Amino acid sequence: MDWTVITSFDFAVIWRYLPALFKGLWTNIVLTGLGFVAGGIILGTLLAIANLSRFALIRWPSFIFVEFWRATPLLVQAIWMHFAFPVLSGLQTTPFQSALLALVFNVSAYCSEIIRAGILGVPKGQFEAARSLGLPATVMWLKIVLPQAVKIVIPPLIGTIISIFKATAILSVLAINDVMRAAQRISSYTIKPIEIYTTAAVLAFTVGLIITVAGAKLEDRFRRSEA
Amino acid sequence: MEFRYQIIFQNYPLLIEGFWITVQVTLIALTLGVTLGALICAMRLTGSRTLDRLAASYIVFFRATPEMVLIFWGYFCVPLIFQMKVSGLWTGSITLGLVTAAYLAEIFRAGIKAVPVGEVEAAIALGLKAFPKWRFVILPQALRLMIPPLVNYFTELLKNTTLLSGIGVAELALQAYLLGGQTFRYVEFLSAIALIYFAIIFPLSLLSRQLEHREARR
Repeated sequence: MDWTVITSFDFAVIWRYLPALFKGLWTNIVLTGLGFVAGGIILGTLLAIANLSRFALIRWPSFIFVEFWRATPLLVQAIWMHFAFPVLSGLQTTPFQSALLALVFNVSAYCSEIIRAGILGVPKGQFEAARSLGLPATVMWLKIVLPQAVKIVIPPLIGTIISIFKATAILSVLAINDVMRAAQRISSYTIKPIEIYTTAAVLAFTVGLIITVAGAKLEDRFRRSEA
Repeated sequence: MEFRYQIIFQNYPLLIEGFWITVQVTLIALTLGVTLGALICAMRLTGSRTLDRLAASYIVFFRATPEMVLIFWGYFCVPLIFQMKVSGLWTGSITLGLVTAAYLAEIFRAGIKAVPVGEVEAAIALGLKAFPKWRFVILPQALRLMIPPLVNYFTELLKNTTLLSGIGVAELALQAYLLGGQTFRYVEFLSAIALIYFAIIFPLSLLSRQLEHREARR
């Protein structure tokens, strides 16, 4: 073991590049938030409803979509979105857009399964009552089913936030300025890999720990209020 | 555009090479993960508070930190700190193994804790010593409960092996990406490997869900 590595630890370089690393970390946090809201909540709910549809033409495509995005690695999805999708669709996307799209689809697939389980947890009588009262489908979903499903799905959905945060670091394979990409650039520029990567790791772990601890507290509160 | 699938078959030796690296990474990570995971789980079950805290901190650390960050740290910092030459394949696989251990320890513990207390009490009341108690009473029941989450975690590990492409390990994903760059045929290569991953992971994920279902109905 080389002890000089530790004794010659250069704090000045960390101090100088800390703002750049923070900026990168902020990108991860923004991506986590966007992925959770757009993917997990909005698209996830739509996919869950589509997956429970009576019509095979709606049910099957959404089933295939969910299974495909769940059973392939995010890294492959991200590079596919950035290098293959534009060729197929003719749309040019920036690395950030491709990364966000891959993340949103990936998260939506995971969360739709959680939300689907939540909807199935709503007693059948509630659906039957809504239908026998002649409520239109939108009213039944928005006023009867989803409010009850929300209570069931909130704790497990909170649990996915840490996975989403960890997944955002994978998106650094595309040239987005997240904390890992920033660390790579600064480390090759300053030739101080130990200082820079250790700082990046500490920052990422701190955010991960905050999400884990806060998430566990929130989950606990929702579980207790439900009982 | 036309989909030139022949180009995949023309370059299949490189893809197979990449797939073989993926298998190696998975096996190294899995071996380390199972051994260390069992050890960490044991530390949590001894009843010693210090060991329990230590094991719990390990689990929290490796579950809260992004794998990509750990892989980069291991690749760039470990060789400098320990003054040795290590390949990305080994630092990356060991990092994945350390992460796997954290998840497996929790799966093992949940399985053991799910064995009804009455079973353990009955074993003790019958005067069974530690070995037969674990070998014939606790483990057979616990292992059955662990199988669905273990299969599920295996698929996660397989997906995480692709992260090693970030440090230049030429596993399946990086190999396909490089081939795509050389031939300007990203669509063919990236779609092909997406299908390969899907073909391996989807059946395993179905199996895990089916086993879980069967367990729930018992």
